[in-house]
Amino acid sequence: MSKSLLVISRQAPWSGPGAREALDIVLAGGAFDLPIGLLFLDDGVFQLAASQDARAVQQKDLSANLQALELFGVEEVFACSHSLAVRGLATSGNAQPLSSEQISQMIDRYDQVITL
Amino acid sequence: MSTLHVVSHSPFTDSRLDSCLRLCGTQDAILLCGDGTYALQPASATCQALQARGVKVFVLAEDSQARNLAVPEWAGSVDYPAFVQLSIDYDKVNTWL
Repeated sequence: MSKSLLVISRQAPWSGPGAREALDIVLAGGAFDLPIGLLFLDDGVFQLAASQDARAVQQKDLSANLQALELFGVEEVFACSHSLAVRGLATSGNAQPLSSEQISQMIDRYDQVITL
Repeated sequence: MSTLHVVSHSPFTDSRLDSCLRLCGTQDAILLCGDGTYALQPASATCQALQARGVKVFVLAEDSQARNLAVPEWAGSVDYPAFVQLSIDYDKVNTWL
């Protein structure tokens, strides 16, 4: 049985490569059927905002990658409800909002954690 | 399972330590290194929050020494070999990159 991995993505989408790289790790893990989870935390929740336009800043769209998660068998996708609330984001797309307490328990459950 | 959270960014410019304090479990510990050691700045709100949270706190000695930060009695000072030992003692290490 492979070790389970939780990737915590806390970078905003267009400020640097962090957001895309976290997503790439998760998709690669999913492609190899690793038990993998993804949590959006802090500015990472901005990746989930609706109707973003990456072309305006000459970047590639991340939303296609986000939608590919399910296709790659990544079902554990979560967002920190505190981070969402602080930033005034009402929805988190396909990511399930979790309280700080729930996130704490979830980190405990995974074998390994990567925070980017 | 226990987690060792490693924080190396200053809490005064960045939300890593805030989030870490919000999410860390009772079995967990926080290791401060680099600018993360500024969290021990006496009389700062961060220092008080760190103490009030009640989790174990470790500090990389050379980084606190370089910044002339006194290590409070509720925190443990560690050198690099002790840092390695901690990373073995805890089930996993979560480095807040």
